[in-house]
Amino acid sequence: MSVDLLIDGLLGLGMIVLALQVVSERTVLRSIILFVVFGLVMALAWTRLQAPDLALAEAAIGAGVTGALMMMAWRRLLIINPEHSADTPRGRSAVAIPVALLSTALVATIGLSALNIEPHIDTAGRVALDEMTDTGLGNPVTGVLLLFRNLDTLLEMAVLLIALLGARAISAPARPEEAAVVETTTPLVGALLATLVPLSILIATHLLLAGTNEPGGAFQAGAVLAAGGVALVLTARLQPAKRPGLATQLAVTAGLLAFVGIGVGIMAFGETLLALPGTWAVYLIETAMMVSIGLTLALLFAGAPALVGRRA
Amino acid sequence: MSAQEWVALVFLIAGCFFYLAGTIGLLRFGDVHSRLHALTKADNLGLMLVCASLAVLAANWRITALLVLTWLLGLLAATVSAHLIARHARRVEK
Repeated sequence: MSVDLLIDGLLGLGMIVLALQVVSERTVLRSIILFVVFGLVMALAWTRLQAPDLALAEAAIGAGVTGALMMMAWRRLLIINPEHSADTPRGRSAVAIPVALLSTALVATIGLSALNIEPHIDTAGRVALDEMTDTGLGNPVTGVLLLFRNLDTLLEMAVLLIALLGARAISAPARPEEAAVVETTTPLVGALLATLVPLSILIATHLLLAGTNEPGGAFQAGAVLAAGGVALVLTARLQPAKRPGLATQLAVTAGLLAFVGIGVGIMAFGETLLALPGTWAVYLIETAMMVSIGLTLALLFAGAPALVGRRA
Repeated sequence: MSAQEWVALVFLIAGCFFYLAGTIGLLRFGDVHSRLHALTKADNLGLMLVCASLAVLAANWRITALLVLTWLLGLLAATVSAHLIARHARRVEK
């Protein structure tokens, strides 16, 4: 018990210290690196709270893909505006301390009031757990995401698509010098890619299939798939293309199309909207979502409407 | 404590020692190359010892295989990133 308390205390303290460092670090690059470290510690904290689904999502999306996106944004900042370097020390804004104090007060109030909440037996979570046996799914998180609260998940997919469209609308086409970041000719990079990219596909497939009964699912699988894509973009094996082909358009919208197609199509058989007809529908939608999430995140990273393969 | 747990404990302590040594090297050494030298070698060995300790505790071939895979992936990532960082550092020095 005391060892558990020690580990939890160290994790909590570590997260507070890391969070402070993220906002007070001298350079943007150091802040980004510390943010990734913060995400990894956060994933450990979720594991300690016995929320492995959240831990996987935090490690893959919060630390991995978001970190890569911020590194790319930092690099673009340097290229667009070299004199006004992103590494110059930032002065503290006048509102920083009042905002920090207000946030602290808010968090403390919420935390203190949460301590007084009596857990109810007949909450939605209990009802959902009881209903799980009829669904054929072993993982309650997948059950909630795909069956009980699937309108939320559908709208999340729509938000992801809108984010991609928004980024495409406001971002200038990537310049050639921004494309490849890593040294692409050294043989070690080829060996790394030859191992990592097939592994990312394997792990994504495993997470997708495991998501039915164990921690995992389309979001984590999509993020792992995107990590493989990001590695290929970084080493210029995949390069930005001007116009998306039919395959790209289909892949980016696949999750939304499958979800809406099945969810609305089921109404023809007298069911209610989004009443998924069985585990095959869950598998189909999750697979389509994984492809869409993976490609959308990779395209956001590349800052391009489409990607084409090229031998480096 | 059983003999199995003693063996695992020895591996774990040895692994932590190498992690500690690598981290001290990273913090104390003067330039990029010696820091990389301290970090990659010590951490790879530390990871192997921690994985070995966990494998002894698990006493299960499937988990042992997964731990070996974890260690090999760690080796691969550390090797390539150390190589790229060293290459970049040398180019900046010139």
